[in-house]
Amino acid sequence: MTPLLALRGVAKAYRGDAAAFALEVPEFDLLAGEALALAGPSGSGKSTLLMMLALASPPDDGEYVFAGSDVAGLWRKGRRDALAALRARKIGVVPQTGGLLPYLTVAGNIALTQRIAGCADPARVLGLAEELGISAQLRKRPAALSVGQRQRVAIARALAHRPALVLADEPTASVHPELADAVLALLKRECAAAGAALLVATHDPDRAARAGYPVLACETHAPGADGLARSVFARASLAKAA
Amino acid sequence: MLRLALADIWHEKVLFLCSALGCAAVLAPLIVLFGLRQGVVAGLRAELLEDPRAREVVSIVNRTLEPTMFERLGADPRIAFLVPRTRALSATIVLENPARPGNGLRVELLPTAVGDPLLPGYSAIDGDELILSGTAMQRLGLNAGDPVLASVARSRGSSREVLTLPMRVGGTAPLSAATRDAAFAILPVLLLTEDFLDGTVDADARPVTETEARQRPFAGFRFYAARLEDVPALDREMRLAGIEVASRAEAVAGLLRLDRNLALLFLAIAGAGGAGYLVSLGVGLWAQVERKRRDLALLSLLGVRRRALLMVPLVQAAAVALAGAVLAFGIAAMVAGVLNRVFAGTVTGDRPVCLLTLGMGAAAAGVTIVGALVAAVLAGLRAAAVTPAEGLAEG
Repeated sequence: MTPLLALRGVAKAYRGDAAAFALEVPEFDLLAGEALALAGPSGSGKSTLLMMLALASPPDDGEYVFAGSDVAGLWRKGRRDALAALRARKIGVVPQTGGLLPYLTVAGNIALTQRIAGCADPARVLGLAEELGISAQLRKRPAALSVGQRQRVAIARALAHRPALVLADEPTASVHPELADAVLALLKRECAAAGAALLVATHDPDRAARAGYPVLACETHAPGADGLARSVFARASLAKAA
Repeated sequence: MLRLALADIWHEKVLFLCSALGCAAVLAPLIVLFGLRQGVVAGLRAELLEDPRAREVVSIVNRTLEPTMFERLGADPRIAFLVPRTRALSATIVLENPARPGNGLRVELLPTAVGDPLLPGYSAIDGDELILSGTAMQRLGLNAGDPVLASVARSRGSSREVLTLPMRVGGTAPLSAATRDAAFAILPVLLLTEDFLDGTVDADARPVTETEARQRPFAGFRFYAARLEDVPALDREMRLAGIEVASRAEAVAGLLRLDRNLALLFLAIAGAGGAGYLVSLGVGLWAQVERKRRDLALLSLLGVRRRALLMVPLVQAAAVALAGAVLAFGIAAMVAGVLNRVFAGTVTGDRPVCLLTLGMGAAAAGVTIVGALVAAVLAGLRAAAVTPAEGLAEG
């Protein structure tokens, strides 16, 4: 079975909270419909990895194949519009704080990904809103919602255009602890129902495990001879495992 | 993207209204100023144009001008109407109403032809037709269509010879064409009079055809420029060619100078005001892009292309400019209405002193939108440069 996304020998330098870090992903596969939590302390490069997976920033080195497209190659050729189109069709994103547009209604925010991907589907917007318990809020603006409701709108938006992959960056960082469990469970349930693969970055591996996520923890290495701290995400190739 | 940009504006209605008002505040006085310039210039121009003599150029010294020169002038596209004239001294005749014999009236004989701006409404003038000035008509007790006798007398030695032509009154010349006693006739009639006074023809001679008449040299001419603007140049060219002429070139040049100076004044004021406003609009849009960086980054992250992101400030700037222009035109129209009432009948007669047309409104909106788009391009480039990664990060 070909994985939905496969990274080989990917490296990216980035600035952490204080020191310079090097993110290394020697090998990383994710199957279609699979859910996985990426765990690591803050500043370990989780967000950087997610951004790279979201086609939002280029890898410095290595290969990245997503849904049959050579992403690293597209970056090298500077095909930003092709990357944007791929992003619009195949990827859903749940930012930390929801990232809703204040000038659109809840319904408008959820339908935004459909509009960008060019696949309007009002029935799906209503269905997702019902599933996530926000159908009473559809006509309101984000400012009138609670933090938990906003996060659910963000989840609905990430799924509205039926993406193959949903990326969530610390989706529980800004919500109440009790709510955090519910948000993680909701994400997993909805992605499973939609058949989308799910990657959640979290600094709380226990909570993710409780919610039923397999957890991939990052290995952090103290600065070596070059003075660069390294952060490694490695997941044995599924082909090899089989 | 258009809907998103407009939804954003709609969400921040108050801010949008402020921007539009700011635009209108700069634009409205400019539109009024432009209207004033149009009104004053148009009023003066119409006043000049109403008088056909404004476009007239007349040679005032008798010369011998060859037919080739008239051919050249006739072919000049700047000249709408041209008629040669005979020597001034030989251009008087005595008219007599056959119904009132013995009451002859000496009048000036003026050349005319079809299409003469001085005599509008005559599609054809026969060889035996005379168009009389109002005063001559009155004194002779004639009406259009009446027969009239035209005669010229010369002395040969001790004998007195008279050439008499039975003519017909073709109509009355408007007051603007002749205020004194005068009669207009076609060229062959004038030529015959001159020839008779010169002694080259006998008293029983009759006028030749117009075509034949035009093949002879003449003492002078009267012509009309096609456009008012051509009068000063034609006047100058005639003088350079050594032909003394009289025209309203000074008045026309004055009007054109006023037009040009007002245009320059307007450009200076509009340039200073407009440039200032466009800078402030551009800076405002730039600040807006900075403020909305996160939203733009999010849109980029969700897969919106850079070109579409560039559109956001452009669409918003165009919307502000359009609303501002409409508002400004409304305000300017009101101000113009007041001005026109207050200055009614003083500066430009009964014409509006401040002239605003819908075309001007459309032009103002067009210019404003183009300016706003230019001002927004920098902000747009800034928006397009927002990286998608910013959308995911802490915010």
